[in-house]
Amino acid sequence: MALVLGAFLWIGGGMWLLVKEASAAKAPAGEVATATGSPAAPAPVAAATPARSRSVALSELPVASAGVAEPKVLTDQIDHHGNPVMASCSTCHTTRKPNFEAGHAALPEEFHQGLEYAHGTLNCLSCHNADNYDTLRLADGRELAYDNVMALCAQCHGPQTRDYNHGSHGGMVGYWDLKKGERRRNRCIDCHDVHAPAFPQVNPLFPPRDRGAIEQKARDAAHAADAEH
Amino acid sequence: MSNSNLSAPAPAGVVIAPPAEDHLHSYPKFLWQAIKDATDGSWWFYAWMILLSTIALVGLHAWAVQVRDGMIVTGMTDHVSWGVYIANFTFMVGLAAGGVMMVIPAYLYHDREMHDVTIVGELLAIAAIVMAVCFVVVDLGRPDRFWHLIPGLGEFNFPISMLTWDVIVLNGYLLINLHICGYLLYTRFRGQVPNPRWYVPFVFLSIGWAISIHTVTAFLYSGLGGRPFWNTALLAPRFLVTAFVSGPAFIIVLLYILRRLCDVKIGDRPVQILVNIVRITLLINLLMVISELFTELYAGSAHTASLRYLFFGLHGANGLVPWIWSAVAMGIIAAIMFLRPRVVEHPVWLMIACALAFTGIWIEKGMGLIIPAFVPSTLHEIVEYQPSMVETQVSAGIWAWGFLILTVGLKIALPILRQPHPEMTESQKNNSGDAAPSA
Amino acid sequence: MIDRSPPSSPTPTPKTGGITRRTALKAVGATLGAAAFAKAVAPLTEWAANESVDDFLQKHYRELSPVDMALVLDRIVKDTKEDYGADVEVRDLRPQEGVKLGYALNLSICVGCRRCAEACHVENNHDRPSGNSYIRVLEMEKGSLDLAKGNVNYDGPVPKSDKFYMPVQCQQCDSPPCVDVCPVEATWKEKDGIVVVDYNWCIGCRYCEAACPYHARRFNWSKPQIPAEEINPDQGYLSNRIRPQGVMEKCTYCLHRTRDGRLPACLEACPTGARVFGNLLDPESEIRWVLENKRVFVLKEELGTKPSFFYFFDE
Repeated sequence: MALVLGAFLWIGGGMWLLVKEASAAKAPAGEVATATGSPAAPAPVAAATPARSRSVALSELPVASAGVAEPKVLTDQIDHHGNPVMASCSTCHTTRKPNFEAGHAALPEEFHQGLEYAHGTLNCLSCHNADNYDTLRLADGRELAYDNVMALCAQCHGPQTRDYNHGSHGGMVGYWDLKKGERRRNRCIDCHDVHAPAFPQVNPLFPPRDRGAIEQKARDAAHAADAEH
Repeated sequence: MSNSNLSAPAPAGVVIAPPAEDHLHSYPKFLWQAIKDATDGSWWFYAWMILLSTIALVGLHAWAVQVRDGMIVTGMTDHVSWGVYIANFTFMVGLAAGGVMMVIPAYLYHDREMHDVTIVGELLAIAAIVMAVCFVVVDLGRPDRFWHLIPGLGEFNFPISMLTWDVIVLNGYLLINLHICGYLLYTRFRGQVPNPRWYVPFVFLSIGWAISIHTVTAFLYSGLGGRPFWNTALLAPRFLVTAFVSGPAFIIVLLYILRRLCDVKIGDRPVQILVNIVRITLLINLLMVISELFTELYAGSAHTASLRYLFFGLHGANGLVPWIWSAVAMGIIAAIMFLRPRVVEHPVWLMIACALAFTGIWIEKGMGLIIPAFVPSTLHEIVEYQPSMVETQVSAGIWAWGFLILTVGLKIALPILRQPHPEMTESQKNNSGDAAPSA
Repeated sequence: MIDRSPPSSPTPTPKTGGITRRTALKAVGATLGAAAFAKAVAPLTEWAANESVDDFLQKHYRELSPVDMALVLDRIVKDTKEDYGADVEVRDLRPQEGVKLGYALNLSICVGCRRCAEACHVENNHDRPSGNSYIRVLEMEKGSLDLAKGNVNYDGPVPKSDKFYMPVQCQQCDSPPCVDVCPVEATWKEKDGIVVVDYNWCIGCRYCEAACPYHARRFNWSKPQIPAEEINPDQGYLSNRIRPQGVMEKCTYCLHRTRDGRLPACLEACPTGARVFGNLLDPESEIRWVLENKRVFVLKEELGTKPSFFYFFDE
């Protein structure tokens, strides 16, 4: 009798947890879908953080993601139009076997020299698709077009993606009132180098030139000079 | 207050119109007489007036340059946006309030000897208020837009803005004192006995009003939550106490000058009363300074940065430190001097004590009050302030202008002051028409 | 009554027909004095030549009829052309219904590049020599919100690892001390939350600058100098038109842009996206999401100013 009750509770509890998790996964979509009512708005979050069983469609991604071309490599050849010949990734990568060891611990030596890599402990083929080098891959192995690279960032960088979709991460120009106009947003890759994504240090512009700031500077310098003695 | 005995010959240099003449004729004559009195005098008088006029003209020119070129010619910045103009304004309002201190013993306590000299205090009040208004006008970025302040014509943010209260009380105080002095001088000119009904209520009004002008000015500063140096309940009491140091101290010196240089017979009692007032108020002020220092420094919170800048310097910025300690020293020395009978009885020492008290208050309440509230700024930046040449010239010009007004006023009032203290005759009591106590 | 005559003998000389030497000298003195007076106030006439009667008599913003306002805007456009040689368009935009503008700043992301301060300088037609801007960026020490430890003069590659960066500008308070203290009501809070200044009404007493706890107000210590080609021609009457000498000014959340629904210049310049702007009354706006989901605080909350500018951290 106790065993039956225990089993019942165990199964019931497990099912309750499962249901809770599933509804939590749906909740972001519900929130953001109503966030902005405009057709030009950034797409719902659910698309950028793909649910387990949904495929990612281009139209569901934030607008800015569009227009990312797959990278091409410069060769030293010039075609008969006078343009440099660019080779796609698969041109070389179909001629050799994929190297699953290449990554943070073992940077490529023969080609891709000068590639700055500082992106955690991932290997190259964690994101690049060994089956089709002209595409990327998500964590579960599904192919992802370069156009949708923001979905790739989103699968690990959830908080940033959530913030991005709520307008609090990433630069933008245009309208705050999306009923009156649209907005152009930076894509992840506009600011973050995909292989070394930490936001670089910059030199600040436009130092204060008012009398107060200049005085303060002089006084700080004098203070520092005094402190040394 | 001034009883001209109709049967006695008038003192020299004063024209008395027949009492029967109507005001339309006698008032312009009075004004013309005032102008003549103001521009006639001894060699020293002319030299003094020329000196003051020159300084005033230099100041006027400097102000004209400031209006044309903008306030960038001053030493003020977005960090320290009020400077020596507002510092002097604050001090002047106090001086004006203090001038009326003589009125209280005279009228509230029916002290006859004080009556003779209350007009000195009121004339000081007029000059000081004019100076205060001038200091505000020169501090405005757009003085041509003064009409925006006129209720009905412009937009007057009364009662929310304390500046509007200040405009009302300062102008009101000026009008009250102008009325009292003008009335007394005018009736004297007409050879009549002043009717107490026409000035005694105003005198009482001016007592309360004097307190209010300085309280309102203090509230201007103490109401600002973003300036912790000012945001203290002690500010209004400190203002009043320092006003009642600087006003009487200045008047003591004035009375001595009148006695020595202008042949005015002033008894010792008025001076004695004023000395007693200054004795007490100097000590109260010192107590208040100590109270501020203790309250701010004991807890050591960040709000004390302004006070630390003023008294000890802050991160290498210590421009005001010598000033404030000089002011404190002057205050202490003056307080001690005022307590010693030998000093008080000796005119020169008393003058020195008064000068010390006056200057100490001027530093403490002027630059020592206005500037530290801006250092450090609201974003905790330290930007110091030094008045520019233009500011110094304009300030000197306004001081000269104030002294000009005071000199002219005293000169016109000299006939009243020169009269020995009158006993009211029976006929005069009948003339005045009511049984009010002799003014 | 400026008497420059040297002392003369007190007794009148009848030969001159009743005019004493003293009187004559007084007359000469008075004339000299009048001449000195005229010389002294000469700069005022120079200054007055640049002012117009219309400018002097202009009524308060809230009392201007649409016709009056059109005339005023016309005059401003003409004056700008005359003074600066630039063709500009000045509009009088009104607040939108159902809008209360709010601004949030992400202190986890701001790198302190000061591009916002520069964009403000350019957008708002600030005086070029002084490098004025409504935004002041403080380099703060991590672990403390003490403004006394902040530094405005930082340099070198940012962000530094032990610092965070806090731009400060007008907080458009809901209980603004600056509005309370203005004696002529030249500054007031509009319906969409922006605290504005009527530059043609301000008398320049700088009481508001003393009252503001956030160093948000600026005074025009001189006539702004801007080369014609650098002037932003898209101007608003209450915001970025070129201000006259001697009046106050402040950040207006770029109302000439935001009242059209556009983003303010500082936000567009921010490369990291640390700034969030929008309508606080719209429950679906980004700014509302930030306020409801992030750890938000305001500066100097204890003063009771109720700012509409919020700061938040991501973690």
